[in-house]
Amino acid sequence: MSQQSIRVENLVKNFGEGDSRVDVIDGASFSVDKGELIALIAPSGAGKTTLLMMIGCVQEPTSGQIWLGDEKVYDNKWLSKDTRTIRREKIGFIFQAHYLIPFLNVIDNITLLPQANGQTKEEAEKFAMELLEYLDIADKAHAMSSQLSGGQNQRVAIARALANKPKIILADEPTAALDTERSVSVVQMLKKIAIEQDVAIIMVTHDNAMLPLCDRILKIEDKKVVSSKVMKDTSMI
Amino acid sequence: MINLAQKDVSHSLGKFLVTAMGVGMLLGIVLIMIGVYRGMVVDAEILIGDINADLWVVQENTMGPFAESSRVHEDLKDSISVIDGVKYSEAITFQNIQLPKGTMPVRVMAVGYDPFGNINPINPNRLIKGSKLTKDHYQIVVSKETGFKMHDEIVLARDRYEVVGITEKTVSSGGDLLVYISLKDAQKIQFLYSNSRVRNDRERGITGNDTTMVNAIIATLKSGYNTDDVATNIKEWKHKSVYTKQEQEDILTKNLIERASKQIGLFTAILILVSTIIIALIIYTMTLEKMKEISIMKLIGIPNSIIIKMIVQETLLLGVLAFISGNIFSHLIYEKFPKRVVLEIPDAWMLFIVVIIASILSSFIGVKKVISADPAAAIGG
Repeated sequence: MSQQSIRVENLVKNFGEGDSRVDVIDGASFSVDKGELIALIAPSGAGKTTLLMMIGCVQEPTSGQIWLGDEKVYDNKWLSKDTRTIRREKIGFIFQAHYLIPFLNVIDNITLLPQANGQTKEEAEKFAMELLEYLDIADKAHAMSSQLSGGQNQRVAIARALANKPKIILADEPTAALDTERSVSVVQMLKKIAIEQDVAIIMVTHDNAMLPLCDRILKIEDKKVVSSKVMKDTSMI
Repeated sequence: MINLAQKDVSHSLGKFLVTAMGVGMLLGIVLIMIGVYRGMVVDAEILIGDINADLWVVQENTMGPFAESSRVHEDLKDSISVIDGVKYSEAITFQNIQLPKGTMPVRVMAVGYDPFGNINPINPNRLIKGSKLTKDHYQIVVSKETGFKMHDEIVLARDRYEVVGITEKTVSSGGDLLVYISLKDAQKIQFLYSNSRVRNDRERGITGNDTTMVNAIIATLKSGYNTDDVATNIKEWKHKSVYTKQEQEDILTKNLIERASKQIGLFTAILILVSTIIIALIIYTMTLEKMKEISIMKLIGIPNSIIIKMIVQETLLLGVLAFISGNIFSHLIYEKFPKRVVLEIPDAWMLFIVVIIASILSSFIGVKKVISADPAAAIGG
């Protein structure tokens, strides 16, 4: 079985036609292994979110190939009509803001997806409580998101992303709304999850302070994706 | 599975209830409108029901005093009374008059009958105080809603009438309150002209009026006689139009009230349409408010069916709560209407079915929005 959790080959994305055509990604190829926490960086408008949405089966690429785990999901077209099921079964999403459902409490936010995937309420809640304990916010299980701090909400969002035991997590600037201390805490948590849960995580970030916490950096340069290693600042880990 | 609709409604319960109450008031008005129609039917049948005559003999080629002008001679009752099968026959008059009361006169329909006759139009069950007429003159039985009390004096024409009895819930088919006076008084009031009018008539060569006219002759039949047979007999020999009790009721309900029912029905349909549009707009707005959450749910992989179920359940809940509050609202206010409003359970159930159908149709607009929601909208650029 492959160590690679995400593999992208010659991925191309452009918008528009003719003179108004805009090339965003032009032949990106990279892979992310299980247990890796990858930082995806680029200037604003360079296509980070677009790349994330293509890997997350939300936005259709123009051409190329995408593998999620051992399954090839895109080969110049989606290989499955139901990309939502792929997302539900394989991917966890974390957003810039927590985007928890405001009318659901913490435990309901976390168990919504597993229950939609066929788990019983009891099974889903048991695992959700384990996640909350793992993320050290078990005491907030029945609180509403409006009663939690920004950092606590982001932890709940991480728990939601993990609720369906995905092997891929796509995080779109998960620390953008947090101060440095909380940002470090969240990224350290993601790193821990990557290692302990054997999950591949791609994290879009603008915050250079978070880069030393990651295993690798993917940078979008001239519409291509370039991989580079990071200098580890062990004092922060 | 988590019930998203229940969680969403619980989260903003106050807002949801107030919205439902607002729609409920509209539905309450719909129930009142239907009740007004039912009330008209009940009112129309009160007088005919209380008189309870088997036959109505009226002016030839007319449909009787409830539909158009009808005048027959009072002594026709004697001719009718000797027809085979007729048990009793009496003359009766109907006229709208104004009872003076402070600065605002009270419009009523006066029923004139022979207090010593064999057919009495006052239903004893509706007589709540006093008695029926006991004299030929200057007594009046009034409806409670006129505001007059026992032994009050009412000036009519040039005479004073004493209130000797009070009835309740007695109205004409037009919704006017009923009062009862003697036939002689009724004829006097009907044909009383001013002196100048009398002088004017004389100059015109009109020297006398027949003041013994009445609006109809009513008759009851002996047992064992067929109503239609006796009616046919009277029609042939007396050159009058004759209607059975059922035919008189049909004239009122089918010919007169049916037009009103169409008007009320159209108004009701418009109100239901407006309610449906309002429910649809509310659901659309509620869906718009949740678009970010819906996009997130779609993005993380929640199936459309679960999100659509939430929208449909919320719409149905809104419809049901609106229906309940509409019922409460209509029951709180219906007695305050000047005319009779009759709220019937079958009408409420019919409205319930209409509300459910309207809610389902309204939910389509929210469902369409859910289906078209872009999951990519959840991710900021």
